[in-house]
Parts: sequence; structure tokens; C-alpha cells
Amino acid sequence: MDNFEKHIRQNRAAFDVHKADRAKLWANIEGQLEPVKPKSIPLWRLPLLRAAAVALLLLGVTGLIGIPFITEDRNADFVSQELQDIDMHYQGLVSYHVKLVESNQQLSEEDKQEFLSFMDELDKEYEELRLEMRNNLDNQLVLQAIVNNYKKRIELIENLLEQLNEQKIDNDDDYGYTL
Amino acid sequence: METHIRYTHKALVEKSKSGDRNAQYQLYELYVDAMYNIGMRFLRVKEEAEDIVQDSFVDAFKNLDGFKYESTFGAWLKRIVINKCINHLKTKRLNLTTIADHEYHLTEEVKEEAYEPADIRKVRKGIEELPPGYREILNLYLIEGYDHIEIGGILGISASTSKSQYHRAKKKLVEIIQHI
Repeated sequence: MDNFEKHIRQNRAAFDVHKADRAKLWANIEGQLEPVKPKSIPLWRLPLLRAAAVALLLLGVTGLIGIPFITEDRNADFVSQELQDIDMHYQGLVSYHVKLVESNQQLSEEDKQEFLSFMDELDKEYEELRLEMRNNLDNQLVLQAIVNNYKKRIELIENLLEQLNEQKIDNDDDYGYTL
Repeated sequence: METHIRYTHKALVEKSKSGDRNAQYQLYELYVDAMYNIGMRFLRVKEEAEDIVQDSFVDAFKNLDGFKYESTFGAWLKRIVINKCINHLKTKRLNLTTIADHEYHLTEEVKEEAYEPADIRKVRKGIEELPPGYREILNLYLIEGYDHIEIGGILGISASTSKSQYHRAKKKLVEIIQHI
């Protein structure tokens, strides 16, 4: 590089003598650019939604390959249907007898409370068995335990009512005897 | 060090890639005058230089994903402007100086002459008076700082042709300056 070239290169900035009409040029440039997209946060970056997406994906995949969950649901439906049948049968009976006990005038309040507290205990046991059924959908033993729970309640009620009837007969006899 | 230079304005470039209009405007502000001056040196017509600069920025922003920091953003943009200028001149059928008659000069040693430091204003005026082909090659080498291999790539000629053309252009320029 000779002195002439060096001189020009050293004064390179002196060759930029023009000023662009910035506003006009930018207006034309911006007009040709795509409109600015609204700022968006990718949903997959949020942990909760990511988990939801994974769950959805799993469900989708499950649906595609053999549907094991649905099969289980069918079992659940079958078992719950069995339980519903049992509930329908026994609940009606139990509530009918409980009402009989509650409305019975011969029983003292103390006896009624004692009886109902037994029933409450059996209610709690029943709820636990129902929860157990949810975890062991096809557990016939649990189902049998539920039936036994109902039977015990009915037995309790029947015993109580039997005692009341016996008292009543005794009273009637006494009454007749008096007459 | 060179690596750091290549990443000049990286934050702005990256934001611009994602369509950030504010970042794009900041890049535009930084480079518009330099690019406009390149346009004016090559085309010498205000309206044509403006069109080229506009098109270059639009192309640059639209194709920014393809910019991989192999050079500075400024150098990349400058190359876009220069390519557009050259193509524009080609479409105007402004032929570069024919060199066929001067091929024998390629192996000639160009004697370094003892130039007196010239008045830059005279040099600018002298460049404007050069024939178009000479002006382009002189601008590319002396003002824009490309080497002859790069100029060969831009103009579609060999590096030795570029070198030969440049020396002829320079000689002509010195002659013009002496008469200004």
C-alpha cells in the first residue's frame, strides 16, 4: 500500500458526506416488514401447563394403544354398579328401620341415642369400606364386608324392634289381664 | 478479539431476529448513514441510493435468521448494499471497464509513485469523475476496504483482474486530481 492509499484509508470517514433522510427511509422499510407479532409466552414453558400437556399426551397415547384405562373404567363401572345395587337394596331397608326406631314412643331417648351411636359407628365403617372399594375395585372381600355391614345394622334394628315387640306383647298381656 | 468484534450489537441482532421492531430500528439508526453513503458513492443518484438502502434493510431484516456472525452485522449489511448497487448498475447496462485489451498488464509490476498527500475533497471529486467501472473497483478497494479476492467475488471477475483494474483506476484518479 502506497502513501496515497494510506492517506485515503486514514481519512476514510471523510468520504461519508451524505446524510440519509432517516424518517422517510424507515417509514418505507417498516411498511415492507411484517407487522410486529404480539408478545407471547410459550405455554409449554409454564410447569403446570407442561404437566397438563404431558397428561393429555399420555391420555392420547393410551387411547391409541389398547385403551387400558378405559378397560379399568369398565371394571369400575361394573363394580360400582354392583355396589349401587347393594346400596339400593339395603339403604332403603336400613333407613326404614331407623325411622321406625326414631319414631318409636316406647324407647327412651337414651336407648335411641345408644342405638343411633351404634349405627353411626357402622356408618363410619361403611364409608371406610367404600374408600377401600375405590382402591380395590375388584375386591370381592370388601364388597362382602359392605354387605355384612348392612346386615349387622339390620340385625341390630331387628333385635331392637323384636325386644320392643316383646315388651309390647307383655304390656298387652298385662293390660288384658287387668281387663 | 476478532471473535468479539463479530458479535458487535449481538443483543440488537438477536432481538431483531425475533421481530423486535425497536431493536430493528436501533440497528437501522446505527447503520443507515454508512449504507446510504455507500449507495451514493456507487450510484450517485439520491433516489436510487435511497431505494437500494431501503431494499437492503428490508432484505437484511427478513433474512436475519441466516446471519450467523461469520462477520459483523455491519459487514454483512454492507455486502447486501454493495451487491444490490452492483446489480442495479448492471441492469442499467453500465458496463464495467473492459479489461480484455489490458490483460497483458496483469503481470506488470505497478510502480509505487510518491504521491503527495492529496486534499480529500479533491480525491472525492476525482472519484466521481472516474469512468463507472474504474469508480466501482476503486471504491470497493480503497474506500470499502475489500481485498481483490472479495472484489472478484462481488464483480464476478478474477482477483488478478481486480488488481489490474484497480491500479489503472488509481492511476487515472491521480491524473484527474492533478488537474483539479
